[in-house]
Amino acid sequence: MTIRLIGYSALYPTLRVIICLKELGLPYELEPPASYQSLKDEDYIANKHPFGKIPVLFDGDFRITESRAICRYLTSKYQGKHNDTILIPNDVHKAGLVDQFISYELSYYDPPLSKLVYQEKFAKKFFNKDPDPEVIKQAREELAKVLDVYEKLLEGKEYLNGEYSLADLVLCPGTNYVYGAGHSDLWDSRPNVKNWWNRLCNRDTNKKSFEEIKSFWENLGK
Amino acid sequence: MTIKLIGFPYSGPTMRVIITLRELGLPYEFETPANFEVLKTEDFLANKNPFGKIPVLFDGDFRIIESRSICRYLASKYQGKNNNTILIPNDVHKAGLVDQFVSFEIFYYDPPAFKFVSQEVFAEKFWNKNPDPEIIKQGREELIKVLDIYEKLLEGKEYLNGEFSLADIYHSPYTHYVYGVAKHSELWDSRPNVKNWWNRLRNREAVKKTLEEIP
Repeated sequence: MTIRLIGYSALYPTLRVIICLKELGLPYELEPPASYQSLKDEDYIANKHPFGKIPVLFDGDFRITESRAICRYLTSKYQGKHNDTILIPNDVHKAGLVDQFISYELSYYDPPLSKLVYQEKFAKKFFNKDPDPEVIKQAREELAKVLDVYEKLLEGKEYLNGEYSLADLVLCPGTNYVYGAGHSDLWDSRPNVKNWWNRLCNRDTNKKSFEEIKSFWENLGK
Repeated sequence: MTIKLIGFPYSGPTMRVIITLRELGLPYEFETPANFEVLKTEDFLANKNPFGKIPVLFDGDFRIIESRSICRYLASKYQGKNNNTILIPNDVHKAGLVDQFVSFEIFYYDPPAFKFVSQEVFAEKFWNKNPDPEIIKQGREELIKVLDIYEKLLEGKEYLNGEFSLADIYHSPYTHYVYGVAKHSELWDSRPNVKNWWNRLRNREAVKKTLEEIP
């Protein structure tokens, strides 16, 4: 039974799921939609995602949407089956903390990060809009405050919950974009955060995924 | 070993946890900070929540924050222990769908509902500000689209994933605020599936009791 993933790997929620599939050693088929507009078609809304979004994952007949829910489902079902990678610990307290850090990401880290991703990567190329310096400034300030919290919580730890987990994975794709778009100082000026991000960049799955995305952007201009 | 919950009874996130504790039949101590300023003190940031928010839960020495993470932790650890209530199904596919509906709540339902709540319930009461009609208008337009989708999702179902789950709990506090406190009941009541779902939810003992306790 094949896993089918509908999405664009250049959009980082899809990339979250791709990294998770790779971390778990799961084969899959990536199916980019015909166009961004097709996500609003009646057929897409009825049979793929009721809110007209990507990614959508089919595991055989089972359909699931929303990137973090997809990652958690894949982990619950497949972790330990193809390799030793543990993304959600078995211990209920450790799992609780991984979940807490995933909530940090969606509540505090991702909002300013996604503003920067839009401004720096998508505004000009896809919407013909110039990046807005005021939005960028505010997003940087917000993200800086969050990274100050992360600097303390990473003290004496290699990853957010000590060992690598889904909590680290979920923020890799977006961070990769913003770090490489001229904002690396936000991470590099904080020693614990800097080491943590370096460690994450050096994971095989991330290295490979980031390389693939780089080619996408380089070929876009051609 | 006692469970200690720190929060405010009128806070939506705190209410999520209170409803979950009650649904699971778990006793707990409830501690309300003296005021909002306490949340920004060095001690609170260092020992309770580094982002200066509530709720915070202590289960013995174990500390956890972020309301939906707290609820998931409680369900994972205690469901089935004090009663038969299942909040996260054991089947991995059903659990995956509950998780998906939680994500719908976070990203699609909660933001427009909170626009109403922030302006019509909190602005004057807590922030000494006048409600902003533009934000309310946006909230209404967005929420209508979301409820139209929920109307389809709930077809033939009593709850979002068929059986009651964490996903339904999370929707309760802000729905109550918009429906009952800010009095926009027509948004739910004009959609039969959504109307029945909300009626079912707000009549559950744990939900009813928690909503009644809002000061």
